[in-house]
Amino acid sequence: MIKKSILFPATAALLLTTTSCATTGNINPHEENDSLESYNRAVFKFNYQVDKYVLRPLAEGYRDVTSEAVRNRINSFLDNIKEPLYAGNHLLQGNFKQAGIEVSRFAINSTLGLAGLFDVAEGWGLSKKKTNVDETLASWCVPDGPYFMLPFIGPSTPRAATGLVADTVFDPVYWATYNDANVRDKITYTYWGVKVIATREQALDLLDELERGSVDFYSTMRSAYLQNRKNMGCRNKDDDVQTYDFDFGIEDEDEAFDEMEAE
Amino acid sequence: MKKNLFAVVFAAVLAVTGNVRAEVNAADAEAFVKDVTNDGIENIINANISQQEKDARFEKLFNQALDLDFIGKFVLGRSWRTATPQQRKDFIAVYRELNTKTWSKRFDEFKGKNFTFKGTTPSNSANQIFVNSTVAMDQGEPAKVVWRVKQTGDTFKIVDIVIENVSLAIAARNEYAGFIKNNPGGVDTLIKNLRNKVQTM
Repeated sequence: MIKKSILFPATAALLLTTTSCATTGNINPHEENDSLESYNRAVFKFNYQVDKYVLRPLAEGYRDVTSEAVRNRINSFLDNIKEPLYAGNHLLQGNFKQAGIEVSRFAINSTLGLAGLFDVAEGWGLSKKKTNVDETLASWCVPDGPYFMLPFIGPSTPRAATGLVADTVFDPVYWATYNDANVRDKITYTYWGVKVIATREQALDLLDELERGSVDFYSTMRSAYLQNRKNMGCRNKDDDVQTYDFDFGIEDEDEAFDEMEAE
Repeated sequence: MKKNLFAVVFAAVLAVTGNVRAEVNAADAEAFVKDVTNDGIENIINANISQQEKDARFEKLFNQALDLDFIGKFVLGRSWRTATPQQRKDFIAVYRELNTKTWSKRFDEFKGKNFTFKGTTPSNSANQIFVNSTVAMDQGEPAKVVWRVKQTGDTFKIVDIVIENVSLAIAARNEYAGFIKNNPGGVDTLIKNLRNKVQTM
């Protein structure tokens, strides 16, 4: 049980790391909110090594032994399992229409789509919109908190980590197998193992590209992570629109620098 | 009297702000980005020409469509102010080369894909506007791509590309700021490292 409590958030956070390139609150181009930078850089280095020697080889191996068509089916299957979670979160965010769509998608794809292997609903105009507890908390205007790196998992913030734990607890696989401890362990470990590797495989090319052109990969990842998070909307504020509309002008910046230096 | 004065000043400020936004021709800005993406897809990605010719065409289009001098100044951030003229020149040159090479390689990812344009959104920055678009992905939801366009006279230039809420200019700016902060060699070491990156591409 202890093991599981560690494994779940760890794997879930890993998924966050690789699927969403993200950031916390401050998108000010002059500086990013990273008060724990020296600790974060140390954990980033550690995670990088874990990825290099464990996760990445597994993801590459998975790519080698599967065709794109097979991987697409697996990704569809894994996504379909999470549809009830998407629906619940859309409901909590007040997106009733999208919540209904996710429920319909789950019903259609679980049956006609052969247990989610095929996305039949998409062809009928019912498009998926992924979401999670972190986004629900954001829509309730829960503050994000400082950026920090989680060992094995990657970039996070207090709100992201909370969302991750909640997503793990509410995962349908966990509850579907809850009554049989034996089956539960086997299924959940397999499910999360496949999921982590499949997600890393999807991010292989993107992360390689990002690293290839970067002279400070830590800063690049942090910026992408935090910028992405900034877009998570708070319903009571109108700040979820064009958050990247920073002042993009050299002359204006000079003025900003003058102010900063005068302080 | 004071109230009247305030109203006049307020109206003047509004008028100025309004003018700043009105200066950018939204329809032309969107048409410009459409032309650039169409040109890239039809005459480069889908064209039946050698890779060498594709690279040459891409370099030309990329440098014409983007204001890399402007972006380069922005991404170097506050270090731009303290950089020597030579450092500035070297940085812009290597930044231009790095981006041209990076995107030349990545451009093929758009093979068989089309951008769907979704209108424009005003920007708070003078003479700039956002052109919104989406591009269908192999699986899942379409990706959101927003182009920040700057108008100077009748000329339009792209000054930033925001992919799924991540501004490439801000990402680069934070990356270089992070690098300079952690390297005593500052801008010179940055330029050297960027050159090394270009050579290994």
